Amino acid sequence: MGLEQYQGDMEMCCRCSACKFIPMQKVKGHQYAYVCPSISRYNFHAYSGGGRLNIGAAMLKDGFKYTDKLLDIVYNCQLCGACGVSCNYAMDMEVLQPITEFRIKCVDDGKTHPALDKVIANLRKQGSMISGAKGKRGAWATGLNIKDAAKEKVDVLYHVGCLTSFDKNMQKLAKATVKILQKAGVNFGIFGNAETCCGGRAYQMGYTKDFLNQAKKNMAMIKKAGVKTLVTGCADGYQAFKVLYDKYELKGDLKVLHISEYIAKLIQDGRLKPRKKVVMTVTYHDPCRLGRLGEPWVHWKGKKIPGDRFVFDPPKPYRRGTNGVYDPPRDVLKAIPGLKLTEMTRIKEYSWCCGAGGGVSESNPAFARWTARERIDEAISTGAEALVTACPWCEKTFTETIKDSGSNLKVYDIVEIVEKAV
Amino acid sequence: MALKKGVYQEFESVVGEENICDDPAIMPSYFNTKFAAIILPGNTAEVQAVIKLCNKHKLVFRPICTGWTGGFPPDIILLDLRRMNRIIEINEKNMYAVVEPYVISSQLQAELFKRGLNFCIKGAGTNCTAMLRGHGHMDQTTSGDDRNHLAIEWVTPEGNIVRTGALGSTDEWFCGDGPGPSLRSILTSAVPPGVTPGVFTKAAVKLYHWPGPSEFPIAGRSPKYVLSEIPPNMMARYYSFPSVEKMWQAEIGLGEAEICYELMGFNAAMVAANITTSNEEDEAMFNRLNKEVQGPGFFVIIAGNSPADFAYKKKVLEKIVEEAEGKSLKTLEDPELEGIIMCQCTRISASIRETFRPGGAFNSIPIMGQRDLTIKWAIGAGEAKKPLIEKGLIVDDGGAFFGWGVEQGHLGKTEIFCKYSPSNPEAKEAVETWQREQSRRAFTERYFASTMGPQDDIGPSLCNYHLWWSKLLKAIDPNGVSPEAGSLV
Repeated sequence: MGLEQYQGDMEMCCRCSACKFIPMQKVKGHQYAYVCPSISRYNFHAYSGGGRLNIGAAMLKDGFKYTDKLLDIVYNCQLCGACGVSCNYAMDMEVLQPITEFRIKCVDDGKTHPALDKVIANLRKQGSMISGAKGKRGAWATGLNIKDAAKEKVDVLYHVGCLTSFDKNMQKLAKATVKILQKAGVNFGIFGNAETCCGGRAYQMGYTKDFLNQAKKNMAMIKKAGVKTLVTGCADGYQAFKVLYDKYELKGDLKVLHISEYIAKLIQDGRLKPRKKVVMTVTYHDPCRLGRLGEPWVHWKGKKIPGDRFVFDPPKPYRRGTNGVYDPPRDVLKAIPGLKLTEMTRIKEYSWCCGAGGGVSESNPAFARWTARERIDEAISTGAEALVTACPWCEKTFTETIKDSGSNLKVYDIVEIVEKAV
Repeated sequence: MALKKGVYQEFESVVGEENICDDPAIMPSYFNTKFAAIILPGNTAEVQAVIKLCNKHKLVFRPICTGWTGGFPPDIILLDLRRMNRIIEINEKNMYAVVEPYVISSQLQAELFKRGLNFCIKGAGTNCTAMLRGHGHMDQTTSGDDRNHLAIEWVTPEGNIVRTGALGSTDEWFCGDGPGPSLRSILTSAVPPGVTPGVFTKAAVKLYHWPGPSEFPIAGRSPKYVLSEIPPNMMARYYSFPSVEKMWQAEIGLGEAEICYELMGFNAAMVAANITTSNEEDEAMFNRLNKEVQGPGFFVIIAGNSPADFAYKKKVLEKIVEEAEGKSLKTLEDPELEGIIMCQCTRISASIRETFRPGGAFNSIPIMGQRDLTIKWAIGAGEAKKPLIEKGLIVDDGGAFFGWGVEQGHLGKTEIFCKYSPSNPEAKEAVETWQREQSRRAFTERYFASTMGPQDDIGPSLCNYHLWWSKLLKAIDPNGVSPEAGSLV
């Protein structure tokens, strides 16, 4: 069905521009009112959620005429889903789904972005989204005494993810996670060198076949190992295993948790006690794919009821982004002695993206950094000394941007903060 | 019609490569037409330069803000004013704010609330420009239409910069009519085309006292934001009445008493749209409220400056409503729903629910004038909707209209609309026919002369104003490059 199934949704768009801003009741002033990086950076209405729907509706009607500008619009979008959250405050219609389908159609039609093609070529060759990655995927774990989940029975599989596995600057997150899990006495393991990419970022880039290929590989390994619970430290991985695998009916009964959820549970159960003071004022950045896009998939089949209203039989349950993972990371931070959490204006379901999603960090790094800079400014405005996130892609983008800007703001993943406290 | 390369380059030299586009792929995002180009000017000087080029090359232009209005003819230059998004000044002492076209109402209001101030947000919604002229939910105390525009910076259709009112002789924005030139009759014209040619690049809007909180205490999650508590000295209620006459009696009484912060003549359908989070819920709530109301009604917000002021206003409200045999809608006395609608109708954050959510489109006939007269017309227009409802062409709202007193009832606004699916051409045609017929009926039955009505019929009865307007247009736009502009929604 692809894009066609969303024709009615796209035709519902009234160009009200709500998709450009955070939900209107949440606007607290002139600053930090925008929610969509793409329209904020490129200004033409076509770069907004609504503009994308209007283009999609027109092209379904009049035929697809690809131009360089169209592809610029398509690929300069993090597919962060903020537009849909703001729209769906008032409207009953799909927003991110048709935008995603539009990108998938571009890829299927061979209208790809060369930088993304390169990333996908690497995925096909090495099972990783990190182009040019050298060494073995599980090398970071050498000497840490971690079980091989493919060979030993474990309660929890820790899926490390491509960036954390291969990027020397991010491997600290894997090591911190291991330390925390070991401290709490969790019977966990990894797939080590056998681990493969979740496929989530391939999906964001529009390469569904590659995503499905990865998903099938992963689920085969997981089933073979008898894993019941998977913990991921990466928001992209979380969305892939939890939401996208479910969308394509591949997830089965696998329980998927983000590391922040799992740590919150360990603290709640008394298995992990953050006792050491971490005297610091921090602000928390909700990663898109842990927050609004981490909302569970809802399986629904139905038909539009003919007539004046855009309603369905059975009623369509819209995913409005509010059932993502918002409280557990905050609960973890609040449990750390000495740490003070201060909030930014754009949080939870209407959080501003870090810039890395949708392949933008590969296809247009300058736009990714521009997006990150907006968020860094917002973080600084809270008076925080550090920006805490829960995804290595966010941390990498923020860190690189801060390095360029000369700001003193520090960036941590939540596991690094917990590691300091246990 | 694509621009010739040289002409395109002239525009590009004004706004820069990033801010002009004539790629056909981008056009449908604005409207299903082929624009000559979309241009994003960043300041007044760029607007002026672009307009001068339009005159030089005889190219028609039209500006937009957030952009849900239109109808655009093909081959025009579209000026998207998105980059002009600064609040220039908030003058608390003289109670005005100066904004550029792409400051949305929500942004300005949030800044004003922090200062104990507010302004008139138009019914189109808080997602639209703060510069928009028109009427809104808070007209009872914030007035409406051109009364809220003070000094204006206007780039004329020929590309001259005109600064009106106080701005014409000083750097102050406090007055639209002097000591500099007053062009109120042209700049804020309510006659067809109903909008001013050229481009407003900055405008001062009048500010009003806000007795409510600096920020509403919002809890919950989208799409159900609720207030964690009703702010002190505030109350929201919906009252229904046994007849239109009784409702009108109460509306006049409340206006004379000057006790309502907001008096919004919602019908049950609009109340239901505000407090519900989906189309299904909306329909069920509408059916429930329809049974609960005894007749037409309105929604009221009381906001006291002190506990004593609040108690006084509440007492007067209850007395006037009682005398008019009004009945409070029990459903809205639930503090959760009271909080939702109080916040929605102050921040004007649910206009999209009221208009677009059910079907995706709506057509409206808005009327400014004497409320009792316009209500009588609206009853007929509502009856004329019923066959369309029965055929399933438009959303069932009971054939209702809505409206409210402006300036404590000194003036009034009445409006009626049909909501329908834009994918259904039959519905669209039926609604447009209804719109034409009811506008014509308003004039032929001598209720009022609608600005949307048949101007060649109406004009001769009103001193041929339409011919004078045409002459004025010709004088200020000799090249005919700005035939229908000022569309600042």
